[in-house]
Amino acid sequence: MQPQPAFLLHKRPYRETSALVELITLDHGRVRAVARGVQRPGSRSRGRLQPFTPLHLTWSGHAELKRLGLMESRGAAALLAGEALLCGFYANELLTRTLPVELPVAEVFAFYGALLEALPFPERRAPALRRLELALLEALDAAPVYMDEQGAELDPQGRYAYRAEARHFVRLAEGGLDGRTLRLLAQSDWSEPGLAGPAKGLARAALAPLLGSRPLRSRELMQRLAASRHAAASPGA
Amino acid sequence: MSFSPLVERLMESLRVLPGVGPKTAQRMALHLLERDREGGRRLTAVLGEALEAVGYCRRCRTLTEEEVCTLCRSTRRDERVLCVVESPADMLAIEEAGGYQGQYFVLHGHLSPLDGVGPEDIGLDRLETRLAEEPIEELILATNPTVEGEATAHYIASQLQGRPIRLSRLAYGVPMGGELEYVDGGTLSRAFLGRQPFAGD
Repeated sequence: MQPQPAFLLHKRPYRETSALVELITLDHGRVRAVARGVQRPGSRSRGRLQPFTPLHLTWSGHAELKRLGLMESRGAAALLAGEALLCGFYANELLTRTLPVELPVAEVFAFYGALLEALPFPERRAPALRRLELALLEALDAAPVYMDEQGAELDPQGRYAYRAEARHFVRLAEGGLDGRTLRLLAQSDWSEPGLAGPAKGLARAALAPLLGSRPLRSRELMQRLAASRHAAASPGA
Repeated sequence: MSFSPLVERLMESLRVLPGVGPKTAQRMALHLLERDREGGRRLTAVLGEALEAVGYCRRCRTLTEEEVCTLCRSTRRDERVLCVVESPADMLAIEEAGGYQGQYFVLHGHLSPLDGVGPEDIGLDRLETRLAEEPIEELILATNPTVEGEATAHYIASQLQGRPIRLSRLAYGVPMGGELEYVDGGTLSRAFLGRQPFAGD
């Protein structure tokens, strides 16, 4: 096969010197494979096969679990540290948990690549994450439909809650999201600065049924970190 | 031909060891049974004893059969410097490299959200207590230069915000005797970012 553009989402040791890897690839979506010999000390692929590094890969096999062949890097790794790294983990966990194996998701792949480029810059993080989440929801046919339960358009004056299982909105007396914001979200790509808060809430609500009852560990980690930082900033609080 | 059930079981059991496949397991089993039963008896005795007695040091969490390990008890070590490592093997590597005179803290792993490993699984609560109780002035984050090691270092650093503890992280660099041409891009770009002032005198 022709080498495929890919990113490593996760690697765990397997047997003595091999690893089980989760990849996202341009044409084949999420791929699971065995990378033989990469955990061997001094293996040249060991350093290369790292998350957040653009790769060119080949693999073989017809079963769900492939056998990784050639590995080459196709550009510099995103230099992620701190918060950006945790956001990267979040994206990786999200994709590993929600994408079915070998469903082609070229859009998601593109937005994932864009996310990695955006992550080193704090102000670009949230918009890039929202774009990836939206692309993921669209690829999985789970993006919100901006209609109420009767299939009517949303009233700009109304207040709404999102029902992710049914993919529509229900009207509320108060609270929730306002119709005007939702109509803006429907038109834009979720990344406009003023829409950050509602877009995040909506993305989380829409992703919830795909994730099931098991919480995302990377999100928990980010929240705990934010909490401990808050406690450090205001001692005695 | 196959061996008797007990010999087979011995070979199967030997394969829990890393790097031991069927062939090596057979060689080991035959060696013990045919040539060195005395050595085999010693091995079982020590193995049994070690598995029972060896636990984690109360202070640094390295492997030891004592309550507090010799390194932690030593009066010659600098109590103001603490080095955080992922495994006892990392600790040993640093000790063998020499030059470090401070104390250690062993995590036995790294943060890995995708594997479900969280802060409590690597004893970060213990580390926090230790930092609160002891007169530590500098914390060296010597977790591995992998994304997980980096995340672990970041998490520890954020936990310590606002405390008067100096934090440092092992530098990325070009291996000794190496050639730039063959160094991977990631290491090289980080080595560039972390370059040191050079005073030629």
